[in-house]
Amino acid sequence: MTTALRSYTTWLHILLATLALQSCTGILSGVYDEPSEDEVITVAGQLYIDASDWGKWHYIDLQQVADSTAANPDFNPSGLWTSFDIPVKEITDDNTRDGIYTYWYDVFGSGLSVNEFRSFYPTAPQPQPQKWSIAVHRNNVRTNGAAVAATDFRNFDEIPQDKSYINSLVFQKDTWSESEVWCEQSRMLLGLIGNQGIMINKVLSSWLKVDLPPIPPAFTMYDTVFIIRLDDGSYGALQLVNYQSQTGTKCCLTINYRYPI
Amino acid sequence: MIQCFLLALITASSATVSGVSESAVDSISEYDEVLNEVVVTGVRAPKLLKNTPVQTTLITSKMIERSDATDIEDLLQEEIPGVEFSYAMNQQVHFNFGGFGGQGVLFLVDGERLVGETLDDVDFGRINMSGVDRIEIVRGASSALYGSNAVGGVINVITKIPEKKWHVGADIRYGRHNNLRYGLNLQYRNKIVANTLSGNYSRIDTYDVHSAADPATRVITQIYGNRTLNVRDQLVVTPFEGLKFTARAGYYLREIPRIVDTPERYRDYSGGLKGQWDISDKHKLEVSYAFDQYDKSNYMKISGMDVRNYSNVQNSIRAIYNYTDSRGDILTLGGDYRYDYLNNTKIDNGAKHEANADVFAQYDWIIDDKWELVGAARYDYFSKGDVSRVTPKISARYRPSYNTNVRMAYGMGFRTPTLKEQYYNFDMAGIWIVEGTPSLKPEMSHNFNGSFDWWYRNYSFTVTAYYNHIIDRIATGLPYSKVEDPMQLYLKYVNLAPYDIMGGEATVEGRWSNGLSAKLSYALTHEVFAKDKDGNPTNNQYIPARKHSLTARLDWNKTFAKDFDMTIGVNGRYLSGVTNIEYKDYYDLSAGTIDVRYPAYTLWKLSGSLMFRNRYKLTLALDNLFNYKPKYYYLNAPLTDGANFMVGLSVNID
Repeated sequence: MTTALRSYTTWLHILLATLALQSCTGILSGVYDEPSEDEVITVAGQLYIDASDWGKWHYIDLQQVADSTAANPDFNPSGLWTSFDIPVKEITDDNTRDGIYTYWYDVFGSGLSVNEFRSFYPTAPQPQPQKWSIAVHRNNVRTNGAAVAATDFRNFDEIPQDKSYINSLVFQKDTWSESEVWCEQSRMLLGLIGNQGIMINKVLSSWLKVDLPPIPPAFTMYDTVFIIRLDDGSYGALQLVNYQSQTGTKCCLTINYRYPI
Repeated sequence: MIQCFLLALITASSATVSGVSESAVDSISEYDEVLNEVVVTGVRAPKLLKNTPVQTTLITSKMIERSDATDIEDLLQEEIPGVEFSYAMNQQVHFNFGGFGGQGVLFLVDGERLVGETLDDVDFGRINMSGVDRIEIVRGASSALYGSNAVGGVINVITKIPEKKWHVGADIRYGRHNNLRYGLNLQYRNKIVANTLSGNYSRIDTYDVHSAADPATRVITQIYGNRTLNVRDQLVVTPFEGLKFTARAGYYLREIPRIVDTPERYRDYSGGLKGQWDISDKHKLEVSYAFDQYDKSNYMKISGMDVRNYSNVQNSIRAIYNYTDSRGDILTLGGDYRYDYLNNTKIDNGAKHEANADVFAQYDWIIDDKWELVGAARYDYFSKGDVSRVTPKISARYRPSYNTNVRMAYGMGFRTPTLKEQYYNFDMAGIWIVEGTPSLKPEMSHNFNGSFDWWYRNYSFTVTAYYNHIIDRIATGLPYSKVEDPMQLYLKYVNLAPYDIMGGEATVEGRWSNGLSAKLSYALTHEVFAKDKDGNPTNNQYIPARKHSLTARLDWNKTFAKDFDMTIGVNGRYLSGVTNIEYKDYYDLSAGTIDVRYPAYTLWKLSGSLMFRNRYKLTLALDNLFNYKPKYYYLNAPLTDGANFMVGLSVNID
């Protein structure tokens, strides 16, 4: 009995020691990465923008980016984005197509490709800065009179010095959309989503695809290199390389750029 | 199909009449094998199944083997009527057992809770079937012994302990959608040390499913694949007779690619130490410590970052003392201390913690040959909200003859609000914001159940009935908007008005000496829909239990040519349709509700195995035998897109 008691006491000590050593808040936290929203890490030739807000367009001027980084190679061009709210207040104007178009989407069944127009109300036109090249809103992209072509390149290193390849590309300008720029989600449970009626570039917007179902939505990113021809005839290259923040927020875009090419 | 099964059952039993008369004694002993199994869950002390005063359903290792189930979900659905695994939002697995969900039925592994939850359910993938010895199911409130969350019952998974000096087992299995499973089991034991190392890896592809047009409610379009790794080691040291130490450690990882470049990862680290000291024939003491940590993270392949968004950590210590007197009466005294830590990016201010301390006492009184009575009471204290509860339980077994048992029980159940239910703050993709309520009352229940067991020669018959009255059930209430935020819907956790769940089961089973066995079970569940305290139908995020369900099984085992052992079995289940009350427009509740009907279905499985020299086993199975495909893949539709042929091979060397 004495031996048994001694063994038991020893075991109890081991147990208590283990208990004391064991963190009450868990172990092996080193398995995980610690995200930091404040420290956005970009490299030269890269832009970052949190475009997750349903109610904002974010604008940038590629010429200003080029000028700023040429003057100071350490300059972070991500600070050059400017943001403007999407107008959602109803106005009285029978002659405008600017406004909010509500569509029903079959989000619990066949998906977004099955949709029906339900209602429209006019709003003020989308405000924008004086000079800009592209604007982003979640998975949508628009341009300032530019045209965009998709290439077979998957890396900027594949872009030839000789620009003759550009002649074989098919450029597409912005086109009208009233069912893709989701800006109002207050009746989403019924499959009803308010869209901004606005010109968007559907080629460049194809870099990030959203699917519903599933719920929550599934995102698919394509690493296509796009060539953009600005309205002044200059060319640039754009590529989406990440669409998530460090904490996983979707539509936080990391964009590789080269301008001019 | 059910009629076909009954016909087969009658034919089988008729065909074996001569066999019964020739070897009746053998037949009785076959059934006695189950009745003489030791169960521990009902009274927290070892009792023979036939003697335990608490009605216990036992799934033995033989049943597990012949079921050909590859996971706990398949096994419980095949063996227990009234069990349904369906989907909740975001394709998270939801468990329903006779009207009780994941928060109402306590899942244990070797008596220890599984921490972590997603939409109220534990991660069932953590239960590694290759290491399971048996499963004990106790229906009815068991809070008097197991505390919070045991309102609807307890399912205790008991793992294997090595019986032979050494054993090496390996298995592989392949099925539809590249479903691959590998298992490894290594065991060693000598007089002092026994060790079991078991590992399991499985994977299955994501696949699409297609519903007909115009579903009545939401449907699933894609069944997500997964990769799962489960490793567990258990070391038992017996320095001398009467003293036993058990140490265990486990690691679990499941990866689900809901978004292809950002798979969700679910990890669990568990460990424990237990000392069991048989001080004398009368006095036994058990002290244990358990650690369990369940984490969720998103692995963002693009950035290479694995970011954790959920961690639930539980440290618990327990002591149980049993005193058995010369008549066999058992006094059990025990207590637990549990420290619960939750760090969830979706709760207010990040991390929360809670401590729970309890003491319990139970007396198992064998009055005479016919009567046995068990009374138990437990006092719990929870630091969060300064909540304390006393829960009593009383059970009685009456045996009017050697082959008949009548059991009756009353138990009070309770469940404290989880940290999530108190502090959640989750914007669900803009649809609504789910909010916790710190002032929630604990859920209480009164459970009455009774059962009648009768067994004779090759047959056994069991009928059970239960009634639960549930007070202050915790669930999300109706969506509403706040004055300061009129465009946003909110869902708040609330206490619901009292409601009832009642039902019963009937099981008939036959075993014959010629290797045939058959089982037919039916369950009736009557769940009165819970309403909120204003009398409105609730926004039930889970589909209710199906009223009627039935499971059936027919197996034949034959040994021939000395070295060959063959088993052929067919099993199936039927679940009746169920109607759920759902709001037409969650933004305008005055538009009223609609009844959404979820259809009935039946699924059957044919399996066969051939074992050579008790070492090498080839298994062939055809799941979804009749190629059933749901018209609509609702959340509670079976997750099948047609017949699934599976082939498996296992090697066991002792």
